[in-house]
Amino acid sequence: MVSGSTNGAGDCPREPPAEACRRKESNQWLRRRLLQRQLHDGAALRISALTLRLGLLWHRSPPDGQAMQNCIDELQNELHTVLEELRDIAAKIYPPLLDEAGLGPALREVAHQLEAPITVVASGERFGAAAEGAAYFAVAQYLAALPAGAQPTKVMIRRDNDELMLSVSDINACHAELMDDQIWPLGGTVEMVDVVDGDRPGAATITVRIPCE
Amino acid sequence: MRVALAEDGVLFREGLLMLLRATGHQVVCSASDGDELVALLSTQPADVAILDIRMPPEPDGGLITAERLRAAHPEMGLLFLSHYAESHYLMRILEIGTERIGYRLKEKVGSVDVLTDTLTRIGNGEIVIEPVLAKRLIDRPRADKKNIVAALSARELEVLGLMAEGRSNIGIAGQLYVTPKAVEKHIANIFTKLGLHLDTAARHRRVLAVLTYLRSQRTEV
Repeated sequence: MVSGSTNGAGDCPREPPAEACRRKESNQWLRRRLLQRQLHDGAALRISALTLRLGLLWHRSPPDGQAMQNCIDELQNELHTVLEELRDIAAKIYPPLLDEAGLGPALREVAHQLEAPITVVASGERFGAAAEGAAYFAVAQYLAALPAGAQPTKVMIRRDNDELMLSVSDINACHAELMDDQIWPLGGTVEMVDVVDGDRPGAATITVRIPCE
Repeated sequence: MRVALAEDGVLFREGLLMLLRATGHQVVCSASDGDELVALLSTQPADVAILDIRMPPEPDGGLITAERLRAAHPEMGLLFLSHYAESHYLMRILEIGTERIGYRLKEKVGSVDVLTDTLTRIGNGEIVIEPVLAKRLIDRPRADKKNIVAALSARELEVLGLMAEGRSNIGIAGQLYVTPKAVEKHIANIFTKLGLHLDTAARHRRVLAVLTYLRSQRTEV
């Protein structure tokens, strides 16, 4: 539900989703995290172990086996490329860093890659796979769309009782609805407070709240 | 070299043990989690401990284990293996130490040359950083430093990349087939362009300066 003092996004507050919908949505995130882990613990680990077996073969190749050694080097490089592709897929399903280290480090990594000036402040607390997943993709999508010359943006993440509370400064109000689409199915809300600045009409601070574990 | 290993994936652990033994290393002990390894290493010495980052104690037992090992055996080298080359983990590893320490992708140590080079450099007190990660940091530095990095010459970029891998001047010279003197000159030029202070006496601090430069967050308030 989008609420706040800005016109436009907040005109038609949505009803909170039914409990069954929330549970279903939450399970989707758990499933995504599980798939990512399965890629890591299954296929990826087996392929990594294969490179070790190839190394052994390389070591045991005959002294004049330069051609064979080159061939093994190529195979190992190819397996590295396969793993990089699997990592790319895993990150799109559910970023491993988000799973392992949480929202702060994962969003900091996103910010690090972007042209726009972004600061991420996070306490290091964990909020569960569903809340973290939804928040990550909602915010990462917004940050990625920021132009290089954008106003400095500050993302703050903390826990407020049993809610994940995330605020994004200097966000353009029209993005609230996009975020709401991702947050709402988990029972989350998006609230906006206008920035009082005549030079930047439509700028606001958005506070996202998502119920969490 | 006397090597100890902790890795929870059986397939990978057994494969690495075989490769280590075949290439002439003495495996003093191996374990499926960090706590077990710390206990084993309390009674037997090792030159390098190889640690999977993501293993029990969860979630990143390799890092916790490394902190305990570094405190108990400051002279023991530490090699982290991971399925991911993340600058987040690199920064945490550098907090544990900047000497006799390394971070490599799991599939990369399958190359005998890489395994030997990595263990030798750690044994020599150096820091070893996964080239995939070093390259990513150079190709995609923090946005506000992009233009400065882009202004380096092709040769300087190569040298910066090898520095970010933790290589010594002699190591860089060997990789590029130039004299150490030429490397020194390139490094001096790079540091001037980046606006960093050059302290050649402390290689690990130089690596740290370069990595922090490429990676550091804007000032957090």
